[in-house]
Amino acid sequence: MRKGMIKATDAFERIIHWGLAISCIVLIISGLGMMYHSFSFLSIPVGGLKNLKYVHNFTGLIFIVALLFSILMWWKEAGIFKFPEDVEWIKAAGGYLWHVDNVPEVGKYNPGQKIFFLAVALFGVVMAVSGLIMWFPLSLPVVWVRTMYFLHALGFFVITPFFFVHLYLGTIGSPGSASAMFSGWVTRAWAKKQHPKWLKEMEESGKLEVYGE
Amino acid sequence: MTEKIKLCDLSKCYGCRACQVACKQWNQLPAKQTYNSGSYQNPPDLQPNNWVVIKYQEISDGNGGVKWLFRKDACMHCTDAACVKVCPSGALYYTKQGTVGIDNGKCIGCKECVAVCPFGVPKYDSKADKVSKCDMCLSRIENDMEPACVKACPTGALQFGDKAEMLKAAYKRVEVLGGDATVYGDKFVGGTHMVYILPEKVSVYDGLPEYPRVPLNVIAWKDWLKPLSLLAVGGAIAGSFLHYITHGPKTPDEDGNQVNAKGGE
Ligand code: HEM
Ligand code: SF4
Ligand code: SF4
Repeated sequence: MRKGMIKATDAFERIIHWGLAISCIVLIISGLGMMYHSFSFLSIPVGGLKNLKYVHNFTGLIFIVALLFSILMWWKEAGIFKFPEDVEWIKAAGGYLWHVDNVPEVGKYNPGQKIFFLAVALFGVVMAVSGLIMWFPLSLPVVWVRTMYFLHALGFFVITPFFFVHLYLGTIGSPGSASAMFSGWVTRAWAKKQHPKWLKEMEESGKLEVYGE
Repeated sequence: MTEKIKLCDLSKCYGCRACQVACKQWNQLPAKQTYNSGSYQNPPDLQPNNWVVIKYQEISDGNGGVKWLFRKDACMHCTDAACVKVCPSGALYYTKQGTVGIDNGKCIGCKECVAVCPFGVPKYDSKADKVSKCDMCLSRIENDMEPACVKACPTGALQFGDKAEMLKAAYKRVEVLGGDATVYGDKFVGGTHMVYILPEKVSVYDGLPEYPRVPLNVIAWKDWLKPLSLLAVGGAIAGSFLHYITHGPKTPDEDGNQVNAKGGE
């Protein structure tokens, strides 16, 4: 760790994040294998579609636990929009899409990240509820169960594209971000660029943890 | 191969259950302990070991008496089959004959077909963790034989033959029967491969849907969301790549102390 690095996340946050992310990607891949006949080759490594279903269903349980912790842990920072700065940020698209001289300063999570969090939280719950019912589909009237399949597919439609955009923006789309979820420490320049308001607030309140200070 | 259907003339069915027994025998379906459910009907519904069941129903004959209604319940072999649409393993499939076959070895017991069939046909066997249903005696019809149930029927209520011919016969028969008699099966789900001649109105029969169709949420799931999901994922990946090579990543400024940092470039 270099001197002057800033602490962005604690170990618990990172463990939950990776629990959610890894279970989500396993669910996406195994779900893909069940949803499209042309992707059924994805079941070969686990020895068949039936095993893929088991992989999917039990990974679903890990996902549910990670999702619960994620919501409890992040809803205050990432689940609530702040006015007017978040609206200003959205109007400027955070400087991501066109050139903006002064990107409006927002807190620890920008509105794009908040939208991602809310989509995952909402549709994650939808996936959990519909998935559990689909696991035991004979327990409810068929009209309900059919709707669960529809909702599960809808959640897939929403979560999967978001997942890839998140992957891009957390890595090469925003250099310096990934370390927030690996070591938990980020550079001051990164914090200044990505979350200037958070940096200022932390500094003013004296809560900022700087490595070596 | 010309398309063949099974015609089931309920005006000729008198509930002998020869078809039900013949089905069990040909398909080697094990017997199970039964119980009295308060009706002559046995078993109460289709089961994993009963792909055909004669439904017994008593209705008023309009003169203060009662009369029996019999209906041979089994897979309708839809042309546009909800079960085939959803089956993730390919266990359910369309045969060359146009019927809906089931490859037991492929079934993973997910029960998706159970939830979507408009006629409530596929039944789940928890011991085998598989679903089963009538396959129109595929091994027989592939070899130019009629299904076992048709072979066994003593009254001629069951017939098996070319679709056009059978339907013509069906409409003729309905004319002869008159009254509320109707043909049931050719007008929905792309046309079924078991077609009824119903002496009474459709609504009189217990458990027979008046307007069967592939459920709308199943269509939205399989016909819309499936292609849309791939499109959306492709769009997200392509969009990210385009963003990277045109607008470029959002890189921290070298000089982290500059207050009015420029936006992403
Ligand atoms: C990010 C979260 C999830 C994603 C992306 C996902 C994705 C999918 C996909 C694409 C399918 C195939 C649907 C189809 O055949 O059209 C599926 C099926 C299914 N999912 Fe999920 N899923 C998620 C979470 C869950 C959870 C939390 C559970 C419950 C523990 C679950 C249980 C199931 C079940 C039971 C099926 C039906 C598969 C079968 O039995 O044939 N899923 N999922
Ligand atoms: S009646 Fe049900 S099980 Fe038979 S083909 Fe139609 S949808 Fe499939
Ligand atoms: S239970 Fe078997 S036959 Fe029915 S949809 Fe699932 S894999 Fe296909």
